[in-house]
Amino acid sequence: MSKDLDFITFCSNVQARDFEKASRLEYQGLIRSHVRTLKDAKPNKFNAHANTPSDILEILDPSTSTIGYLFALLARIEAFGTNWSTPGHVPRDLRPGYPLWNKVIRFLETADPILLRYVGEQYRTLNMHVECIARTLGQPALAIAPLRAGMMRLDTTTGTFTSTHLQIIRLCVETRQYAAAVPILDNYIHSITPTLPANVTNMEYGCLANEHLTSGEYLQLRFGHSDLPLATTLGKVQEYYVLGAMAYIGIHDFKKARDFLEHVLVTPSNQGGTTGLFLEAYKKWVLVSLLVDGSATQTPRTMHPGSLKIVRSASKAYEAVADAFKAGDVKKLRSQIAAGHDTWAEDGNSGLVGQLEQGHYRLYISRLANTYSAIPVSKIVERLGGSTQDAVNYLNTLSKQGHLNAQTEDSGDAKVGVVLRFFPDSEGPLAKTEKQQEQALVAQTQRIQALAEQIRSADFRLGLTKEYVANTKREKEKAATTGDAMDTSWDDGVPEEDILGEG
Amino acid sequence: MGLDAENSPHFQERRAKGAIIVKDLPKLDLESYISNYNGFARSARLLHIATLSPYLAYEALHLAITEAHDRGRNVDLYQRLVALLAKIAPTDPLATLDKDWIERTQRELKAEGDKLEHELKSYKNNMIKESIRMGNEDLGHYYEACGDYGGAAKAYGRMREHCTSPKHLADMTLRLIYVTIAQQSWTAVSSQLIKLDLVQLKGEERAKVAAIQNACAGLTQLCTGNLAGAASSLIHTSPIFITMPPVAGITWQKDVMSAHDVAVYGGLCALATMDRAELQSKVLGNPDFRNFLELEPHIRRAITLFCKSKYSACLEVLEGYRSDYMLDLYLSKAVTAIYNKIRTKSVVQYFIPFSCVTLEEMASKFQVSGSSGNIEEELEQMISEGVLDARIDLVNRLLVSPLHDPRHSVHSDALSMAQKYEHTLHLRLTRLNLLQAGLTMSFDKSQGGGQQFGT
Repeated sequence: MSKDLDFITFCSNVQARDFEKASRLEYQGLIRSHVRTLKDAKPNKFNAHANTPSDILEILDPSTSTIGYLFALLARIEAFGTNWSTPGHVPRDLRPGYPLWNKVIRFLETADPILLRYVGEQYRTLNMHVECIARTLGQPALAIAPLRAGMMRLDTTTGTFTSTHLQIIRLCVETRQYAAAVPILDNYIHSITPTLPANVTNMEYGCLANEHLTSGEYLQLRFGHSDLPLATTLGKVQEYYVLGAMAYIGIHDFKKARDFLEHVLVTPSNQGGTTGLFLEAYKKWVLVSLLVDGSATQTPRTMHPGSLKIVRSASKAYEAVADAFKAGDVKKLRSQIAAGHDTWAEDGNSGLVGQLEQGHYRLYISRLANTYSAIPVSKIVERLGGSTQDAVNYLNTLSKQGHLNAQTEDSGDAKVGVVLRFFPDSEGPLAKTEKQQEQALVAQTQRIQALAEQIRSADFRLGLTKEYVANTKREKEKAATTGDAMDTSWDDGVPEEDILGEG
Repeated sequence: MGLDAENSPHFQERRAKGAIIVKDLPKLDLESYISNYNGFARSARLLHIATLSPYLAYEALHLAITEAHDRGRNVDLYQRLVALLAKIAPTDPLATLDKDWIERTQRELKAEGDKLEHELKSYKNNMIKESIRMGNEDLGHYYEACGDYGGAAKAYGRMREHCTSPKHLADMTLRLIYVTIAQQSWTAVSSQLIKLDLVQLKGEERAKVAAIQNACAGLTQLCTGNLAGAASSLIHTSPIFITMPPVAGITWQKDVMSAHDVAVYGGLCALATMDRAELQSKVLGNPDFRNFLELEPHIRRAITLFCKSKYSACLEVLEGYRSDYMLDLYLSKAVTAIYNKIRTKSVVQYFIPFSCVTLEEMASKFQVSGSSGNIEEELEQMISEGVLDARIDLVNRLLVSPLHDPRHSVHSDALSMAQKYEHTLHLRLTRLNLLQAGLTMSFDKSQGGGQQFGT
């Protein structure tokens, strides 16, 4: 018993934010040796008093003894074996609502972010188990919230691309829980597979326990937060963005979807190489940008022209629809949509294409605001077809959804009927007051400043790569040699001047 | 006559093709109008009028055929004119080809051509520069007379290396300009005009050439759609153009474009492209151009009315001359565009001082009698093209000037710009990260092209 107690005490040895005893670097050393010891510990040590009051999981506090608790959790789960194929095989304790599952959730919600940095591999394994359990039970959606909570604990910005990102977005798209993915999707990815040389992390500045680090500096491949071997990562990054865009499309936020797809489109390319996901992103991008502003949006400037040419030639049907849409020709648009029916179905874009007709009407009406200050609804109906009452309802929905800064009103004249009155930008239901605008601007400034910080960090990492260092060295050598050449020419000039002076 | 001609096969064919036919009776008197022109300008204008106007076709063709037959040697032109007449008035005595004349003229031309070629060859053998130059020039004149302007241009072009004085060079270039205008190959005209600049000429000679240069440049720009350029070239044409003696053997004001043409083309292009202050200072206040404007008082009147903000009166005046201008060889293609521009400008200028005008008022000011189309549609199009800054209130039937809140728009512009900037930064960051991680798409599958979708 005392041995077990000793072990439990050992597990709680390294506490969160335990800085008084030592410098951060020493603290880091302490954590690392702690992790090494726990890795070697036998699982039955953790499972000795399972389901009794002296259970290690009952005694330890996940928010302070994060590392020990995580090892204990894993040992407990793995004790059940992990090869379940049917819901019936899942052990009762692990099912949602039962103690162990609750403990997992409590851990993911309260674990100490800094300690978590050192046990990336174990943290990832835990995530896999959570997903596995939820899937085996046939309720994959159950895994989303815990995984998300864990991500937020580890990195409040969730801006470093990890395998959990992909895990969550796959789950969300699969279960159509699009809104559940939004908190993660809204945080942009600022670091992808960052690597820092070991000698930097062993210095006081680069120490993982530092709180000022951006997540790109502590979540690193070497520490097991991402299982992605380099060769397949590009596909996974692109998959994350495409699935993310699909989630945004699912909640009808087309602008964000377009922005997401553009992240795929700017993938660097070697001599115009492309990938399947790149093509898929381009196809969706064409449709989504139509829905956003109805005209051809420029492809991102950094897109590789060779790749663009290739995907263009492979998406002729999409370009044809886009042309019909831009021309504002409903009949042509309909026939193009009908003609490409099989293509859309094959590419999984039927739903998006179906939105086009709606989007066309919406844009037509919002463009009226540029020409008219007021127009009888009957006039709109004349051009778009349908009944007046339907049109009025539709217009009201549009202005409620924030697509239209206008309102319908009864003119009182039976001949004219209901009219649609547009407001100038600074008035009407959609107009922002000056204060709101100012707030938005301030928030925007802050976001950009934070972004600049991330870029600085990316630049810092880039500055530590071997290629960069080699290049700088070369440049310096070059500068040194050219400097010498200039010096000699200057030396040559001096005696000449002397001669002149004497003459 | 007009009615008969309108139902003739020629005009029916044009109608079927949707080509222009000038149905209204033009104001011009053909005899006096055409007496302003000589040479190719005369025949080309007659042919153009005959092709477009059912009223004047018969008269124009008669004039042209008689002339081509009695004084000309252009067999090709003669045949075309007769063929056209045959389609308009098949029973007319002139509508049958004079085969004897054709044969005789062709024979004569061949003999003369052979003679000239032979002479040129002997000059070449003697290697006398001046003779070779003149031999080529004669050959050029000969081709011109036959209507082979391409051949003429080649012959004149061969003169270049044998020119010994700037005058020769200038004459040659002017000749080339003349034949390229006859061919209507405007890029060639403008390149020759540039070459003319390089020729060193002095005093009076230079002034004359400059006048010709301005007029021809204006014509070229008009025909290539550069209305602003045409306006500025034409209004700077020196008045000596009106009376100057032939230069390089060409009476420019008769053989190419008359002083009336300079006034009309210049005035219309200026109206279409300049604002009121510019029109006042550069056109009406321009002593040189005043000489031209005096020849076409209605153009002067239209410009004056525009400057005095009497837009509808100005448009009325111009509309009265629409069919005349449609029958002009060079204006007929551009006149609709020019008129539309003037009209659009008038509407925009008219609306500037108002915050709100009723559509009825707009219609009464700008709806020209007889023209089809609705003022609403026209305004709508102008607004959507971004020419007119206004909104239409179809309920109260008003044209309203939109409320601008500069403070608000600056704020929203700044916001949208910042958002764009943020997004661009995101994209750059992603790219930077991918590059740093060595993740690029390439044709080699082992290098990262592999896909594992939805595992």
